[in-house]
Amino acid sequence: MNRRHFLHMSSGLVTAALTGTILPDTAQAAVSTPWTPQMKPPMGNGEEFIQWAQKNRGESAEYLRKRWERYQAVVSNKDVLDERNKTAFLMAPREHFVLPRNLPRAYEHAFLDIGYGVTISGPHIVSRMTTSIDVQPGDKILEIGTGSGYQSAYLSYLTDQVFTIEIIQPLAERTRGIYDQLIGEGYSEFKAIQSRHADGYYGWEEAGPFDKIIVTCGIDHIPPPLLKQLKVGGIMVIPVGPPGAQRVLKVVKEEGSDGVVRATRSDIYGGRIVPFVPFTKLEGGTIKGTHNQ
Amino acid sequence: MTSSFLDATGLGLGARRRSIGIYLATALIAGALIALQITVMRIFSVGSWAHFGSLVISLAMLGFGLVSAVMCIADGWFKTHWRLMSSLSLFLFGPLTVACNLLVQQFPFNAIFLISDPVQKWRLALNMALYLVPFLSGALFLGVVFQQAQTIFNRVYFADLVGSGIGGLMLLASMYVLAPQDLMVMPLVMWLAGALFWFDALGARRHMLGMVVLIGASLAAHLVLPQLFPIAKIAISDYKGVSYARKFPDSQRVLMHQSPFGLLEVYSSSYLHFAPGLSDNAGFNLPKMPENAYLGLYQDSEGPGGIIRQLPADETAYYQYLPMVYPYLLKPKADAFVVQFGGGLSTALALASGSQTVTVAEGDRGVLDVFRNNKILRDFTGDILNRPNVKVIDYDGRLYLAGVRNRFDVVDLSLADSAGLSSPGGFAIVEKFAYTREAMGHYMRALKPDGLLSVTIWNKEEPPKSVLKLYATMVAAAHEVSGPDIARHFFVVSSYLSTTTVLYKRDGFSNEETALLRKHNGLLSFDEIYSPGFEYNDPDQAKLLEDYRNQIFGSGAPAPDGLDGSSEPAPDVAIDTGLPSTRLARLAWQAHVKGTWPAIARDYVFDTRLLTNAHPYFAAYIKTADLTNVLDRIEILQDEWGYLLIWVTLGFACIAAFSLVLLPVVFGWRTIFVRYPGKMQTVVYFACLGLGYIMVEVSLIAHFVMALGSATISASVLITGMLLFSGIGSLVSERILPQARRLMPVLFVALAAILIAYATGLDWVLNAIGSQDYATRLLCCFALILPPAFLMGFPMPVAMTSLGQLGKEQMFIWAWGINGCFSVIGAALVPVISTSFGLDSVLTVSGLAYLLAGVTFFAVLRPVLTAKPHQA
Repeated sequence: MNRRHFLHMSSGLVTAALTGTILPDTAQAAVSTPWTPQMKPPMGNGEEFIQWAQKNRGESAEYLRKRWERYQAVVSNKDVLDERNKTAFLMAPREHFVLPRNLPRAYEHAFLDIGYGVTISGPHIVSRMTTSIDVQPGDKILEIGTGSGYQSAYLSYLTDQVFTIEIIQPLAERTRGIYDQLIGEGYSEFKAIQSRHADGYYGWEEAGPFDKIIVTCGIDHIPPPLLKQLKVGGIMVIPVGPPGAQRVLKVVKEEGSDGVVRATRSDIYGGRIVPFVPFTKLEGGTIKGTHNQ
Repeated sequence: MTSSFLDATGLGLGARRRSIGIYLATALIAGALIALQITVMRIFSVGSWAHFGSLVISLAMLGFGLVSAVMCIADGWFKTHWRLMSSLSLFLFGPLTVACNLLVQQFPFNAIFLISDPVQKWRLALNMALYLVPFLSGALFLGVVFQQAQTIFNRVYFADLVGSGIGGLMLLASMYVLAPQDLMVMPLVMWLAGALFWFDALGARRHMLGMVVLIGASLAAHLVLPQLFPIAKIAISDYKGVSYARKFPDSQRVLMHQSPFGLLEVYSSSYLHFAPGLSDNAGFNLPKMPENAYLGLYQDSEGPGGIIRQLPADETAYYQYLPMVYPYLLKPKADAFVVQFGGGLSTALALASGSQTVTVAEGDRGVLDVFRNNKILRDFTGDILNRPNVKVIDYDGRLYLAGVRNRFDVVDLSLADSAGLSSPGGFAIVEKFAYTREAMGHYMRALKPDGLLSVTIWNKEEPPKSVLKLYATMVAAAHEVSGPDIARHFFVVSSYLSTTTVLYKRDGFSNEETALLRKHNGLLSFDEIYSPGFEYNDPDQAKLLEDYRNQIFGSGAPAPDGLDGSSEPAPDVAIDTGLPSTRLARLAWQAHVKGTWPAIARDYVFDTRLLTNAHPYFAAYIKTADLTNVLDRIEILQDEWGYLLIWVTLGFACIAAFSLVLLPVVFGWRTIFVRYPGKMQTVVYFACLGLGYIMVEVSLIAHFVMALGSATISASVLITGMLLFSGIGSLVSERILPQARRLMPVLFVALAAILIAYATGLDWVLNAIGSQDYATRLLCCFALILPPAFLMGFPMPVAMTSLGQLGKEQMFIWAWGINGCFSVIGAALVPVISTSFGLDSVLTVSGLAYLLAGVTFFAVLRPVLTAKPHQA
């Protein structure tokens, strides 16, 4: 661990100890170039990306390197498919949404503890879920289960209308604080995120209907109010199963030829069997197939 | 100068009062150790993950092994300093127990991060190391007593066993009044009592005073420190269900009920939502969704289970969108039987569907107690259990139906034990006797000729596992009840990543009935998996099975078809033609009906063998041949962690036990033990005893759940019965010592015969007993325990006393340790054998272990060599 990293972690822990919150303090200088949908980070070369992001976003080369390495893995696994989603992955600063003690592991494939009995999902599942709902510019997206805030941050690079609900009040407040802090540092894209503490089961009626809904918390049935707030033709995704081995349930609200509206369940890739992905191995920044090879 | 133990305690001289004090002290200290084991297990159950609590038994046994290894090497020193060591161990236990427990609670670990977060492994290690410490103290005391009482070992062993049995029972009784975080009080009090008897027998009055002060201070620290400082007595994981409920702003604990059946809590909050398996169409079609319809039920902090309120007439349409409704579409005025009450959803649905009578079973007396007597719950549920047309059976529905002559229109088994089945993260290796082929047979036979059995379980696994086991099990039962042609007897639906429901009709479905069910299924938009006349052929069957295998064991790199190079996500081409899991389920039913399932099961990635009473697990899906292939992908098999953990535990148990056994070998094989002929056979003898005893005990606990319905009651009966009867055996063994050479082989053969007979016939007997009243069942169970347990009380004291009398002093204390170490291996072996070969096999293996012990017994009796070592 280098000195700067150590100081970042230490200051985060001290802040947490003094204020009772856990705001990771990883930001460096203020973001120099505000986000616009036209912004395109270099995707062909890791060093070019890191230099570009350091110059335009003022981010740490250490985390940018890890982000680039994970980016290669998610591309290799087909978790991101198009340019816009690839851009979103490369732009979203995941290190700001993990606990200080997990900073060294911010870009590992695993889900991580963020307190309150909640985890930040691994980068592969976040990418895959986001890709699967095919977010278009201007789409109105509802996220149930703000958690760390990373998912909505990722979405903010794809649309300017992100609504997110968290059921655990202190977590909702903590994550809002992270957004506000980052907006203050120049991450103006996070202004697209509207968040609130509420019971996500009932959705966000006054903001609906929504083009897409991402549910990131477990439940034994799909909340009927959410299905009602989903536009006809809209898509909802819900991960099912234990972290690390989740299947993502995709629900499409469709109107049949008989005029009856129905919900159709499938897997995010249309029901095809997809190999699980956590085995992408990074060695010195290079993808080495999988751990089992 | 230190006096000899036997003189000082009166054990050797027959000073009656003092010797009774020593026996009582031994019994109480042994009882306190068992009580501490159960206490720590309860703390793990409530605070984090019950499976790690089971490791505590291994820890305690390892404590015995470690102490015995050290005592064996430093035999002479311990003999000289027995007063010091016994006093030290007694003084230290209280402070160590309280301090270690409070420390552990400040450094909890999260099981779900064990693989991904290196810190959690260290925390687990710290937890285990700290909990080992008080057991070392207890083992030291018992080791000193055993070492000193070598020639009368059978008597102190009697005290040890009986004390352990009664200690366990007293701890269980105390669960009615002490919350899990305060159960620690019981072992401390028993320990204090034991220590007072000990010091009284030794005439050490000042030590008695010191002991009272120390235990008093320890108790005060346990009770007061957590209140003075913000520290927890039990750190309940943030990932336990009840932790979430407590964070809801409007959450209120409606009730708390503690008993040996567990800690039961009920919370109310507008944030609690349940509707297990609810059709997605409910949201579009229901005029009114019931609001605040559920309370959350938590058992040992796990949950929630939903307790449904009594719905007014304008809200009961909600039930039509739940998967449990199917049988009532055909039987609107049913005499219904609900196999497990749980939170009452199935019972409420049966009543709302117009059932004339509902008989409902619930084996958890704690649940029945609160639903019958708690005013808040009675008001909330419309006093559901006290309604005139509701009859309550206060034990397992499976057992009731096995013995009753009544016949029912509907038997419902819906999401029973739902915490285990719904949550793949539950990781449980738990016997699910309600879902076995034998149980399904009971349900089917309890139906009227045109009656319906409805079984709903979670279908949240992909690749499918539990559902395939359920299908195979119900088909096997149907073959037994209805004969080879079952084509018209089943109607099966499922909802992707939600639930599956299997309907069985005893006289087969008519075309009209099938049409009616299909029509309702259309309303719910569930996938039809099988119905009479439903034909399904999958031309890509081989690829489907291969793809599923590749999903787990493939490289992980290939993209899904059609995605390569695409700039947009692929369209949903497969929705109408069926998802892989739906295709597989349809394939499975066609194969079951045609009898071709075994060939498909052989090629499927997971083990989907049916559940039987000998193999009652919704777990152990990884085929044994694949075990080594999953080592680098454990993270994606989290729902199998419970199963993988039993192998890991076995591995660690073997390493730890053999290390401890080897310690004296390294230090003394050619020195200390050189005068002991037949030492290797002696080691094998005590190893077999250690393996055999614990394997019988643990496997019988699982077996007896079949008759007693509750794991807690079964464990209580077994622990008490086994230890008590073995203790009596130990006491009686003194009489056969002179004829041991002649009688012990006979005893071993008899014991092995009994165990092997139990392996083949016990389930049948337990099933028959299961329908008797509870007192009769308890008596019968004790009667079944008596023969093997009594005989199992002989081998250890006969051999130990013989070693003592032959002057094989180091071998004596080492043998005790070997016994303890192999108990650890035995305890770890039981789940491995039972999941691989069936519960019955464990008893057979135990029988064989005792036979082997019989063969090696004569080595124990060989006298110490008097010749010089190099001539030996």
